[in-house]
Amino acid sequence: MTPEPAPAHHNKQPRSAAQTGVHWLALQWRGWTASEGERLIFVAKCMAAAFTALWLAFRLGLDSPNTAMTTTFILALPSSGMVLEKAFYRMLGTVVGCAAALLFVALFPQQAPLLFLALALWTGVCTCGAAMYRNQQSYSFVLAGYTACMIGIPSLDHPTAVFNLAVTRLTEVGLGIIVASVVHDALFPRHANRQVMVTVQARYQRFLTFCGEVMEQRLAPAEVELNHLRFAADIAALESGRAAAFFEAAHSRAHTRQLHAFNHAFMTALTTFYTLHRLTHRLHAAGISPVVAMIEPLDSMLAAALRAELAPGAPAPDWRRVQADLAAGIAAARAALGSVERPVRIDFDTAVELLERFARDMAAFVALYHGLAQQRKMQVSDPLAYHPKTPPGLVLASGVRAASALLAGAAIWYWLDWPYLGNALVMTSIFSALASSSPKPLLLIKGVLIGFVLGAPLAFLTEFWWVIRADDYPQLVLAALPIFALGCYLMTDPRRAAIGVGLTLFGAQVVAPLNQMHYDGEAFLSTELALISGILLPFAIFSVILPEHTMGQKDHVASALWREALGAAKAPLFRLKHRFDNRVRDLLNQLNAAAGPMPNEEARAVVRQGLTLLELGHSVIEMRQLIDASAPSPARAALALCVRQLAAYFRSPDQRHGAAVLSAVLDAGPHVRAALAEEPSPTRKLRLQTALTDLHSIYTSLLDQMPAAPLGEPDHAA
Amino acid sequence: MPREIAVFGVLLPAILPLFLASLLIQGALDWVLGLAGVYRRVWHPALVRLCLLVCIFAALIGAYYQ
Repeated sequence: MTPEPAPAHHNKQPRSAAQTGVHWLALQWRGWTASEGERLIFVAKCMAAAFTALWLAFRLGLDSPNTAMTTTFILALPSSGMVLEKAFYRMLGTVVGCAAALLFVALFPQQAPLLFLALALWTGVCTCGAAMYRNQQSYSFVLAGYTACMIGIPSLDHPTAVFNLAVTRLTEVGLGIIVASVVHDALFPRHANRQVMVTVQARYQRFLTFCGEVMEQRLAPAEVELNHLRFAADIAALESGRAAAFFEAAHSRAHTRQLHAFNHAFMTALTTFYTLHRLTHRLHAAGISPVVAMIEPLDSMLAAALRAELAPGAPAPDWRRVQADLAAGIAAARAALGSVERPVRIDFDTAVELLERFARDMAAFVALYHGLAQQRKMQVSDPLAYHPKTPPGLVLASGVRAASALLAGAAIWYWLDWPYLGNALVMTSIFSALASSSPKPLLLIKGVLIGFVLGAPLAFLTEFWWVIRADDYPQLVLAALPIFALGCYLMTDPRRAAIGVGLTLFGAQVVAPLNQMHYDGEAFLSTELALISGILLPFAIFSVILPEHTMGQKDHVASALWREALGAAKAPLFRLKHRFDNRVRDLLNQLNAAAGPMPNEEARAVVRQGLTLLELGHSVIEMRQLIDASAPSPARAALALCVRQLAAYFRSPDQRHGAAVLSAVLDAGPHVRAALAEEPSPTRKLRLQTALTDLHSIYTSLLDQMPAAPLGEPDHAA
Repeated sequence: MPREIAVFGVLLPAILPLFLASLLIQGALDWVLGLAGVYRRVWHPALVRLCLLVCIFAALIGAYYQ
């Protein structure tokens, strides 16, 4: 939210003081509306939603109006698409949670230990589910878990009341959802759809610039890794933006398909580019090779095309022309290379094959971008949704934590026999579930805790100074407005968002008026204390139970990456490449979220590892596709052996297995070459050529991995 | 026409199923309008959508309580 830069004025005549003043005012106004104005509009929308929901709840005579109000605060998100998305998933989670609570209370009426065990198990399972998904889908799991607690725990002693409780909860949440969606969607909406387009454009520019810079060797390897990490985060961000925009009116299904295709094309181009970049890097490192000199003009041909693509105003280059030029350039280079030794020839073949592939991927990517930017409808052949992936250790850990938080809270409640702790328990279950999908759970809980502690005196003052004097609804709104407005204002600042959430939730729990107000200082203070202790418990649990098992923890990400690579060599082939690509990027994205803007050396090592495994995995999948499509032959058998050895290497990456892969690759080379020479059909020729490239890239990246490995003669693929 | 319907002994307003039905109809209409690109031509798509929902809901209630 930075103020826009001042438009440059180069008027020749000097302007009068008044003109300058007006100009300055206009500038200030524009800067203010872009930053503070946006935030104040957001606060106004939140307040409108909250007090409308509260009024309607009173008017309809619902049992606990503050639930409706709380819902509007929970749904207070910056763009209308996000609000609608969260509303949808909140409703879903509430329905499932209510059903679960009814089931548990019906199964174990007035049997506290059994009921708590069942609730703990349910919360644990739901939290596991939440850790496996991203965005608001994950929230829906969290909600299903804690709604069951919210309904099950109060009806422990009165099982007959459970149905009423469930219906009330459903009604109030429904009311809150409707009001919040209408307010955020209809009043000064900020559209996620537009933000998605901004992301798409930024991505396109950054990727093209990045490729150009790498091709002209202007980036250090460390910077390249960082860029790949950022791109992984970008992919996930675009996906979450798309998921939110999906619920907006201006967003069409065709748009969704195009965005999926765009993300997919981007990943493909990125992987190809990484492989290409690694190869060039190796060639440069190896010293003077005629290949480097041959490749350089081709590289700069592509870099020039990328620059032309980015140049403002200039007509976009025709990528079919670029591809044709590249093919001509390659033919000329091949002729110029003449007859050379085999290793050089192989390096050259691989490099040009990768260059052609990159040009092809890039053409597809650019075409998709232009389709999106000009809002052209395109027929996207096979758009596939994004697949998230969380390391299973982390999924289990979050489930265990949520379940044990609930059990510990229940034990304390049972033992102390303090009635207000029921509230505390609900808070415990909410935040132990919510925090588990955050990369820094302790930071989140700490923020909310600060909000709670800050809210305690404020809420007390609000309640006993102002609310107590309110005679009718407008006065009540005036009395309660400051504390909620402050909370919502804090929510607009990303660094203090957790504090704002804590403050508003706390206020909604204790200040929000009931149908029959009774002002009881002691009860008020007890509730405040209980709520705060309810948030202290998850804080303790998160710092004690498996504190290292948080989202994006690098060791877990590293081992999950190896498992994904093994999956690439073993899992059924159907849509495997897409799934593999998505999951690896998702893991890198989690790593990025946890490591922050400046990842340390260990995190970078994991990124390097992930990128290498991405390269290896792609090669393996391509080889497996070829194996699947060909009749039994020596080449096929040799390739199958390679895949098997690689799978063994992925399972236990050590010297011995690495060496076995290397020798299998060396064996496979001649067979594939022979098959290539005899192959009549051009399409299969292309695939065999691809397989050769894959063999070469597997061989070289394994050599990079094991510098001490016995170096065979590199004329493997001959 | 009953104003309330009993679900396991809890009385729910009869317009609740009507509301759910209007949400479904609205969803279908949304899909068609999105496909036709109508939303890209209007000033405030969200408001149009909301108004459509209100119209559908009101029409259903009107038809039901005639």
